[in-house]
Amino acid sequence: MKQKMDVLQGTLALMILKTLDVLGPLHGYGIARRIERISGDLLAVNQGTLYPVLLKLEQEGSIASEWGASENNRRARFYRLTRQGRKQLEAETQDWEQTAAIIGRFFQVKPEDLT
Amino acid sequence: MKSLRRFLTRLRNLATGRQDDERLQEEIEEHIALQAAENLRAGLSPAEARRQAMLKFGGVEAMKEEYREERRVLLFETLAQDIRNGLRMLRKSPGFTVIAVLTLALGIGANTAIFSVVNGVLLRPLGFRQPPQLCLIREIIPQLTKFYPTFPANVPDFRVWQRQLRSFKNIGLAEGISMDFTGRGGAVELPGAQVSSTLLDTLGVNLALGRNFRPEEDQPGRDHVVILTDSFWRSEFHGDPSIIGKAIALNGGPYDIVGVLPASFHFPQSSELGTLTNFSPHLAFLKPLGEDASQIDLLGEFDYAAIGRLSPGVSLAHALAELNVVQAQIAKKANEKVDLRAEIIPLASEILGPARQGLLFLLAAVVAVLLIVCVNLANLLLARVPRRMREAAIRTALGATRARLVAQVLTESLLLGAFGGALGILVAFFGVRAIISAAPPGIPRLAEVSIDGRVLLFAIFISVIAAALFGILPAWRIAHAEPQDALKSGETKATERRRTRGLRSSLIGVEVALSTILLILAGLFTSSLAHLLRVNTGFSVAHVLAADVDPPPQNYSSNVSATRFYNQALAAIRAIPGVRSVGWINKLPLEGEGSVSAVALPGANVGNTSNLPPVNYRVVSPGYFATMGIPVIAGRTFTDSDRGRKVVVVSRRIAQNLWPDRNPIGQTCLISWGGWKSVQVVGVVGDIRTVQMDKSPVMMVYLQTWPFDHIAWGGSIVVLTMMDPDGAASAVREAIHRVDPDVPITALRPMTTVISKSVDTRRFQMLLALLFAVCALFLASLGIFGVVAYSVEQRRHELGIRLALGARLRDLRAMILRQGMSPVIAGLAAGVAASIALGSLIAGLLFGVHAFDPLTFACVAIVVVLVALAACYIPARRAMRVDPMVALRYE
Repeated sequence: MKQKMDVLQGTLALMILKTLDVLGPLHGYGIARRIERISGDLLAVNQGTLYPVLLKLEQEGSIASEWGASENNRRARFYRLTRQGRKQLEAETQDWEQTAAIIGRFFQVKPEDLT
Repeated sequence: MKSLRRFLTRLRNLATGRQDDERLQEEIEEHIALQAAENLRAGLSPAEARRQAMLKFGGVEAMKEEYREERRVLLFETLAQDIRNGLRMLRKSPGFTVIAVLTLALGIGANTAIFSVVNGVLLRPLGFRQPPQLCLIREIIPQLTKFYPTFPANVPDFRVWQRQLRSFKNIGLAEGISMDFTGRGGAVELPGAQVSSTLLDTLGVNLALGRNFRPEEDQPGRDHVVILTDSFWRSEFHGDPSIIGKAIALNGGPYDIVGVLPASFHFPQSSELGTLTNFSPHLAFLKPLGEDASQIDLLGEFDYAAIGRLSPGVSLAHALAELNVVQAQIAKKANEKVDLRAEIIPLASEILGPARQGLLFLLAAVVAVLLIVCVNLANLLLARVPRRMREAAIRTALGATRARLVAQVLTESLLLGAFGGALGILVAFFGVRAIISAAPPGIPRLAEVSIDGRVLLFAIFISVIAAALFGILPAWRIAHAEPQDALKSGETKATERRRTRGLRSSLIGVEVALSTILLILAGLFTSSLAHLLRVNTGFSVAHVLAADVDPPPQNYSSNVSATRFYNQALAAIRAIPGVRSVGWINKLPLEGEGSVSAVALPGANVGNTSNLPPVNYRVVSPGYFATMGIPVIAGRTFTDSDRGRKVVVVSRRIAQNLWPDRNPIGQTCLISWGGWKSVQVVGVVGDIRTVQMDKSPVMMVYLQTWPFDHIAWGGSIVVLTMMDPDGAASAVREAIHRVDPDVPITALRPMTTVISKSVDTRRFQMLLALLFAVCALFLASLGIFGVVAYSVEQRRHELGIRLALGARLRDLRAMILRQGMSPVIAGLAAGVAASIALGSLIAGLLFGVHAFDPLTFACVAIVVVLVALAACYIPARRAMRVDPMVALRYE
């Protein structure tokens, strides 16, 4: 069995934001499952990191939370994206694409390009 | 922004902590339940589904901790804990706490008090509108710069400036005067200022009540109006707002009160406005100029402080250039062989300049005292380090980080700093009062000094700095404890002790060095004052009383009646039993220059006074010289038979200047006293220090009272008597009042008081410096005592072994003294070196003593060594009384 990758530091917040953006309000477990699923089960979301990151995002005002009913009809905390979170997501998406593009160029570089 | 928001939320979390923990617990349970349900759907048994879910979730407790870390403000929670711990530690050693807080309070209090003086005098802006635009204008006569580099302004020049200068928005004039005020308590002499109607506008002062002077009131005859200062208005009229329009009696005539100045108005003192101005620090009133410019010589009566406000955007250099063009025109118009220039000085720097050096020096001295306090406390705390090593080691073993240990120890010192600072502010409050009441009048703006917000901030700031200073070393030592070592053998590890001891010894060196510097400076000041008091003034003050009298001009309208009053008063005093001799002079020595004019040989070009050296004129009665013990070098002094004859007595410097190789007696010279007059010299007397104790004698011409219309009605009667001073004073007062009870006696004191007053500023500086130096030495000796006592205590075991092995008590004592004294000697050397390096900075504050005075240095070295020896010897001796067997069993 292929070893699952741990989520890279700092990218988890971005993944949470994007997941909430696409899927609307979700509880913690739902977020973790979707991230794992989207990654094709290649990523394992460490719960020990997930909840502190959720709290951090909430305290920064990017997401908000309220109680709701879960699939098995129990009380669960649902997180949703705020307007500020949406802005942050846009900004971070751009940053990420830029970073990825730069890294991509480095991977494509050949010796003759530099002479 | 984001981090701020996070911080604020965290602050809120402090209050809602428990609720959040419950919420997290619920979320975790739900998470695991959802996972288990999914596992169940995937076909696992219920128990296995739950087990897998929990396994996948991982360590709940670790996660909770991480979650909490994210949530809270760690600092606040541990801080509260540290403060609780710190207070417990301080309570546990009350002796240490009391000493620490008291010495800190003294150090911080003294610093705060001196700083509040510096703040009030140097830092707080002048009470005028836009002070940077204000400047002082002084006139320069290049031919006279040898004698007076600059002069105050005169009225005719001021009028020309006002008409012609574009660089100045406004210019105001002021001259210090005094007038006899007849109020409820009889006649008193009231200090005031004669000012141009433009002065208050120039300064930008708005009146609290009434109106400013009108331009036409500058003319003589229309000038019978006054503006009162706030303090006089309150003390004399109880702040009566309906005072405007009423009249007060000044010099016997009515003056209408037209305005009252605001309480914030503080006119600069003469020491701040340059030589030859004369303002009382406690002005009671302002009156208009009352001078007709056309009646005044274009190059005479340089009596007025001139303050100008520059037009916006005009630089000092530009204004000066324009002013000098106008000055040249004035000189040309005056048609005398003399040039006229001017200088412009920013008012703030002129006011503060002279006081700055002395004050900054005091501030430096008092900071040194605080440093010593800090070093002492650092030493005391270091002494407690070994005892706390065990505690620190246990805490480290239990997982405390170094930062945490440092924070704990620093919190303790910050607590001490807080207590010391709070008490220090109280000390400063009384200190400031003491300084204001003890300070000589020369310090500008001292009356404005108070403890304001800035001073409080300063007190808090230095408390924190001090706490950090004395806390950081012990904190560092504790944080670097090796847990195993400390746990293994408690506090007796010799290596640990030696390192701490080395650190404490070098701190002693620092203390001694600072004390040495302060002692040397204080010694130099003391020696300066002693030199000054021993300086040959040229007159003798023992058993001489001086009574300042001021016959009111309205009762003594003529020269004749005033002379009659003085003759009768002198005769009445002479008749008092025990009075040896009595005399009169219009202005006492050491009370500054006055009646400055010129003297010339017959035939000299006296149309041009400006290239003649300035001479101080004094009017005296025949008995003055004998009473003051001024020696007659040649010829004689005045006698009654000189009445009506045009004769003068001159000082030795004049005789040498005018007749270097001839007998001056019987020579004729020209004096400038209400116009040029030819007089004959009948005597030469010794030079005396007329201006100040530290200024060498100036040239003097003495006139007798009667043949000339002299201007000054007021003067001083000097009495040589062998009676006790109190009895003599009341007898003199009685005698004068028998002649005329309406003549105010404005001062009556021994001449020694006059001398001592003239050195007030120096004495004040010296006393403060001495006080700080003695404090420093005392603190340093406490520090030495503490270090030696502690090290003896720690080494009892070792000393016992040495004794048991046959060491003699004397040798052990010598060893302890040697070890105790070595940092003292090093510190002494460093202090002497630093004093030599700093010497040039204070050379200007000294008199008659070199900044590297070997005698002072030697005395200080001896004092420091003796005090340090005593501080080492006492604990050393106590240790030696111990029986070696007891010492050995001590462990």
